Amino acid sequence: MSPAVRTGISAGLLAVVVVLLFGNLSGVVLGLLAGAGAAILLDSRVEWPNRNAAIVGGATAGAVAGLLILVGQFIHDLFLMPLAGQPVATAPGSTLQAGLIAVVLAALAGAAVGAIVTQAERPRQLGLLGLLVAFVILFPFLDQQIQLGWTPTVISVLIYVVLALGLNIVVGYAGLLDLGYAAFFAIGAYTTGLLLSPQIGINWDHPLSFWLVIWIAAAVAGLFGLILGAPTLPLRGDYLAIVTLGFGEIVPIVFRNLTRVEIKEPFTGTCLIGCDKAINLTGGEAGINPISHPWLPLVGQFRTGQDLPWYFLIVAIIALTIFLISRLRNSRLGRAWTAMREDELAASSMGIDIVRTKLLAFAMGATFSGFGGAFFASYISAIFPGVFDFSVSVIILCMVILGGLGNITGVILGGLIIMMSDRLFLPQLATLVKNILNTSVLPTIADPAMKDFVATSVDPSQFRLLLFGLTLVIMMLVRPEGLIPNVRRRAEFHEAEAGAEATVATEAKAPAK
Amino acid sequence: MLELRDVQTYYGNIQALKGISLKVNQGEVVTLIGSNGAGKTTTLRTIQGLNRPRYGTILFEGKALETLPTDTIVRLGISQSPEGRLVFPRMTVRENLEMGAFSRSDKEGIAQDMERALNLFPRLRERLAQKAGTLSGGEQQMLAIGRALMARPRLLLLDEPSMGLAPMLVEQIFQTVIEINEQGTTVLLVEQNARMALAVADRGYVLQTGRIVLEDTGPNLLRSETVRKAYLGEH
Ligand SMILES: Nc1ncnc2c1ncn2[C@@H]1O[C@H](COP(=O)(O)OP(=O)(O)OP(=O)(O)O)[C@@H](O)[C@H]1O
Ligand SMILES: [Mg+2]
Repeated sequence: MSPAVRTGISAGLLAVVVVLLFGNLSGVVLGLLAGAGAAILLDSRVEWPNRNAAIVGGATAGAVAGLLILVGQFIHDLFLMPLAGQPVATAPGSTLQAGLIAVVLAALAGAAVGAIVTQAERPRQLGLLGLLVAFVILFPFLDQQIQLGWTPTVISVLIYVVLALGLNIVVGYAGLLDLGYAAFFAIGAYTTGLLLSPQIGINWDHPLSFWLVIWIAAAVAGLFGLILGAPTLPLRGDYLAIVTLGFGEIVPIVFRNLTRVEIKEPFTGTCLIGCDKAINLTGGEAGINPISHPWLPLVGQFRTGQDLPWYFLIVAIIALTIFLISRLRNSRLGRAWTAMREDELAASSMGIDIVRTKLLAFAMGATFSGFGGAFFASYISAIFPGVFDFSVSVIILCMVILGGLGNITGVILGGLIIMMSDRLFLPQLATLVKNILNTSVLPTIADPAMKDFVATSVDPSQFRLLLFGLTLVIMMLVRPEGLIPNVRRRAEFHEAEAGAEATVATEAKAPAK
Repeated sequence: MLELRDVQTYYGNIQALKGISLKVNQGEVVTLIGSNGAGKTTTLRTIQGLNRPRYGTILFEGKALETLPTDTIVRLGISQSPEGRLVFPRMTVRENLEMGAFSRSDKEGIAQDMERALNLFPRLRERLAQKAGTLSGGEQQMLAIGRALMARPRLLLLDEPSMGLAPMLVEQIFQTVIEINEQGTTVLLVEQNARMALAVADRGYVLQTGRIVLEDTGPNLLRSETVRKAYLGEH
């Protein structure tokens, strides 16, 4: 089997999982992704003699992936849908049509990538970036056209991608294991909530501008990064992880309980703030709402339910985040983070201020979660303490680890995979399984107790955390450096072999003293 | 150039330095010898501000160092090749050398010093792109010294550069120390290998459980009864 066919099959198999769940025209989006993905994968495995070969190879890989998607379409429409008791929504002809569109798009995407990857370094990078940007811009319109309805989910997924990029600074660059990162997300969101709602008496008719508040939220989150980072400075490894875990628990609890704030003058006991009636700062369990939306000239007021402006806003936030973080990584501070992670003692004798370097890692990481938090609060228009619990910190950490510590592309990819599975694929799987159970399985079971047992126990959404856990365990065993690792991190995980060689070399050169 | 007056450093309640006074003059190679746990490493770390003295003063060209942060001390011209050749294992040789110049921003000067370090240690030039952790022990020691030179120090602190190296390599390292000194860098050399250290040093101090017990020129110390018995293994 040629490499083109093989990579086509790998990419197609991944895509087909989604097509089996969603059917209809989801193959259009997945065809584009799988075709381009197959061609990129192929390029990393094959040395191209000339451009035409690359185009043909890419197109072949794409077409193979597309064919798998086509098969997936048929299985979904003709087999799964009837099982789930839903009328075959489309005539058989239209299933073929949807599949063929997927094949063509996948082949085209593969060919386009093939044409780009054989260019010189610079146009190659620009070309791939151009493809990506085109897809990102087209996606919501495409989504609207084919009525998939993925955009709102994608928006909430992208919020997590911002958070993962921020946490990557702390864990990936500076090597500090932070298990309470959701605290900063919460601080960013609550800052925004307080400033963009009537909660603390800000005039609802003339609310502050979101464009100002998002920077304030980032600054406040960054400041708390410093404040919460300071006590952890002498700690390392396990101890650091435990203390950050504590902070992650404390912050939502504080927000939950700031419902009756009164400030008294300490000596005389005279009341200063909240005298007539204690101030309800955070709304406790009920949280804060409504939170106002951004406004932009030309676009006008952002509204709940109109997702396009929100989508492009979060994409812009991610673009800015990527830009800032890649600048940061190559800066003096970025080099100090790397050196500190490698060897704290040696780094300090180079004149790197360890305290400052660590604090800045916490602060910078927290700042980006402030952006994410501000967007989140305004987009959802309501925040509750329950949204920021430990599982959020864990999911974000999983995203960073799955993608590859310290690698921006990897973290984004890891984030997309985990969150799309969590928010889109798993719920859809749950619905599908439930429908199939109700129509095709349960009626065949006579025993009512058995019926009850099957109905309640077969629910994929219950296995959500189990799946995360499994993914992490498997990743750690098979590919601890992540999907797309940072070059240096890869060396860290595989240094056992390299280290052994170095020791042998040392001993060979230095027999005895 | 450098003067320590009655420096006392503690680790918690344990007093590691019990009042060290020593002097290093411009252009000298001064060695500090002593057995394990005598406080040699602690002395160097205290000079660089990595440990803080509880009492005493450290003067570098008349300036008090006790309260200055390490990066300022490095910028003033004191750099160190730490004990146990702590290179950054996952960085390449070139990146390690560049980290040595972390406190500087003069691109041209850094490039010049990179050349100089690579001329001193030609072995490193062949391995610029190699990960430092995969270098041999001797090469790592060269890298650690080269990296310390990248700060363009006027005073170079070397902590046991010969530790764990074969005799031939030890000889070579000490040759390089002399060469560095001849190029104008003052050196404070901490060593267990007293014979070699005293042979290259202008002056030496003998440290015993946190106190200086002897101080003389290199040749005199080599001849001294105490040193011969305690540190050269002669009877
Ligand atoms: N981080 C530390 N915490 C507590 N005690 C320490 C610490 N570092 C060193 N010491 C103690 O201080 C004393 C001096 O140690 P130091 O490392 O300066 O000795 P040294 O002369 O460099 O020895 P060696 O030749 O073995 O390197 C020792 O008794 C040591 O146990
Ligand atoms: Mg020592």
